[in-house]
Amino acid sequence: MTAAVGRTWSRLTLAGRAVFIGVPILVALLVPLVLVITLFGGTIVDVLAANLPIVRFAVAATAVLLMSVPTAFVIIYMEMKVIALMNLRLGPDRVGPWGTLLSVVHGLKVLVKEDFTPTGVDSTVFTWAPVVVYLASVMSLLVIPFAPGLFGQDLNLGLLYFFAIGGLSVVGLLMAGWSSFNKYSLLGGLRSAAQVVSYEIPLTLSVVGLILLAGTMSLNQIVLMQSGSFLDWNVFRQPLGALIFFIAATAEANRTPFDLTEADSEIVAGFATEYSGMRFGFFFFAEYVNVFIISALTVTLFFGGWTAPFDWPWPVHAAIDPGSLGIGLLIALAVVPVIGTLVLAAPFWIARSSMPWWQAIVIGFVLFNLLVIVAVAGWAFISLDWVAGLFWFLAKTYGFVFTFVWMRGTLPRVRIDQLMAFAWKWLLPASLLNLFVTAAAIVVVGR
Amino acid sequence: MTTAQHPGSHASADDPRVTLDEQIGVFEPIPPYPPRTEREAEFYTLGDGEMFINIGPQHPSTHGVLRVVLKIRGEQVVDLDPVLGYLHRGVEKLCENADYHQAICYTDPLEYVSSLFMEWAPVIAFEKLLDVQVPRRAEYIRVLTGELNRVMSHIMFVGWMALDLGGLTPILWGFIERDEIVEMLAGVTGQRMLFNYYRIGGVNGDLNHDFMSRLGRWMSHATSQLEAELALLNENEIFVRRMRGLGVVDSETALRMCLSGPNLRATGVPFDVRRAHPYSVYPELDFDVVTRAEGDCLARYLLRMDEIRQSIRIIDQCLHEMPDGPVIAKLPRLLRPRPGRAYAAVEGPRGQYATYAISDGTDQPFRMRIHDPSFVNLQTVGLVMPGNLVADTMAVMASLDPIMGGVDK
Repeated sequence: MTAAVGRTWSRLTLAGRAVFIGVPILVALLVPLVLVITLFGGTIVDVLAANLPIVRFAVAATAVLLMSVPTAFVIIYMEMKVIALMNLRLGPDRVGPWGTLLSVVHGLKVLVKEDFTPTGVDSTVFTWAPVVVYLASVMSLLVIPFAPGLFGQDLNLGLLYFFAIGGLSVVGLLMAGWSSFNKYSLLGGLRSAAQVVSYEIPLTLSVVGLILLAGTMSLNQIVLMQSGSFLDWNVFRQPLGALIFFIAATAEANRTPFDLTEADSEIVAGFATEYSGMRFGFFFFAEYVNVFIISALTVTLFFGGWTAPFDWPWPVHAAIDPGSLGIGLLIALAVVPVIGTLVLAAPFWIARSSMPWWQAIVIGFVLFNLLVIVAVAGWAFISLDWVAGLFWFLAKTYGFVFTFVWMRGTLPRVRIDQLMAFAWKWLLPASLLNLFVTAAAIVVVGR
Repeated sequence: MTTAQHPGSHASADDPRVTLDEQIGVFEPIPPYPPRTEREAEFYTLGDGEMFINIGPQHPSTHGVLRVVLKIRGEQVVDLDPVLGYLHRGVEKLCENADYHQAICYTDPLEYVSSLFMEWAPVIAFEKLLDVQVPRRAEYIRVLTGELNRVMSHIMFVGWMALDLGGLTPILWGFIERDEIVEMLAGVTGQRMLFNYYRIGGVNGDLNHDFMSRLGRWMSHATSQLEAELALLNENEIFVRRMRGLGVVDSETALRMCLSGPNLRATGVPFDVRRAHPYSVYPELDFDVVTRAEGDCLARYLLRMDEIRQSIRIIDQCLHEMPDGPVIAKLPRLLRPRPGRAYAAVEGPRGQYATYAISDGTDQPFRMRIHDPSFVNLQTVGLVMPGNLVADTMAVMASLDPIMGGVDK
């Protein structure tokens, strides 16, 4: 019996084996799920409905965790490509179209590399340090309003939450530096502690003026306060505050010119020297998620968040309700793709006689899909508020991400004493001055 | 240490079967031998709050295999000890076992960034031993290619300097310009890096069309391209602030430490071998010996940039005044100079490259001493570094521009 099973098994192809393993597992998972839903479904829904805030938080946290990885991929690719073009190089151009998949391959690489723990490290702290850093940066994403109605949690202390969670990352860096049993790591960890603690103060003080103006710490309220044209943006009410915030946020995220914690020409890789594999990957992702977060927060606080920079000059209302078409919708869904593909394929087939018909069909299909995507996106942009909001938010945010990449391509690194002197001698007095002027103006003029 | 006994297995901190009850990680004393000198004993005694940090020999910014042991208190460097010899190949001894033509091939890779100057000094020394008259065209070609090599080396200096301070872009822009010169020289010498072009009595092969057309194209845009590249650094507040007042060497110290080249001229001493002890056709050429008074890293950087401009001036004059004629003197294949000794020095991008050769009448040099400026310049690090920060170690070392091939010989 066993021998017969073994013979049959050895004759199966890889796909066959996958099906034979996968299908039983799937069934074993689905049957209890279906049973649970049919037996206790009503109770579960009731319990979830009763605890809606918790459910909402869990869903938002999961979404934010899932979102952080592709965001990091996009920014990593952007950094590779933009800096390459600034250096008059080509940059990644092999994996995927224009090398866009290279950062995905980077992600896979850190997954499959050996996760090495050197002798002498404090292995508990060493293991938890990347987790703390990564969580600190990802959890900050929770309060950022991406679009109207699209945010993790609308805390009324959103800004405070952000600073509190952002300050947590320094604990992770310090843990990594201390536990690595390496002097470069130690220097990097202590540098990051000194740097982040110093720059927290001007960072927080620079937005106090803004909080006084807005009368709230909720990021949603701050965005709503700036709705209208770009002249309503806070950057025009708080120019000094915006500048201080931008500089301090750069230091907070350890980006060039303040990347002393991982200064590769001085202390090799700083706190990450002894890390490899996915633990290094967490540091790596956290760094790029941080870039996204500080760009997003700068946009939210000072550049209008998801509001459009100008009013749409001509009012467009595409009031198409797909449900009203009835059976016509089904027919359209069945017929339009075929006709569209054929119509778009025809010119290629006619113009180039050497091209086989199926190639023309494939080209036509791809073109049709692109057209549909553009049409649907355009329709969504016009008629759905949150799509338009998301578009403007991401456009502005990636503008700032580009600025950070640009700075990395241009500027050398500052020295540690210059860094500290700049924070305490210039940024702190300037942010206090900003606060004082804002407060005085509110008292004299009114809000 | 108590271990569950498994024959053949090594105790490791990762092994769950092993319990470590003594402090792990303290593997051996530093240094692993009793101190040999008083200085070593003093250096390896740690004071309160001090620690050692080892930079190199595998480190991103030590320009090769230099190892520096830093004694630091916080971020501040208290003392440092450069450890040399990781690239020692015994070139001087090798030269004694090669004939005069072959010896040049050994000296060439010592200075892998500006290798023409490491050929030039021995070639002049051998010519003095043999009493050969070098054709004037060959002299002009030597000056022309030498100055091109100097420009190339200084451009690389800018890139390394910026890279050590954390700037990514200048080195890649510099490589583009360097590559134009490298391709140009490869067209006439056949090599991209170790040219091996100067021969006893002249040069190996006349300038060709490929070289001249590339040179013409480069000369037409060299100055503007260079200024654009330098604007990225010269007008950068962060760069200038980090370099100004860092690693100051005054002229007396510089002379006492036998510095030469740009590092000496940046302290205000107008010493240039091309003017002080003229060789080749330099007396006929018009150029300035640029000096700066400050003696800090910024002065060394700016001085090298001025030298590039002077070099372009010299190249321009060479192209205008180059005579026709042979490029190498007629010499027998096997050279047997009369017994005697000869010394020759040339001014390279890092300072004074010199060779002292002794002949005993055979076809091999009896003794060949090679003086390399990188070795001498590097000693200054020990003087200027204490009191500065760890990050400045890289900046100071980069500004002295050592090449480890020449330091370790």
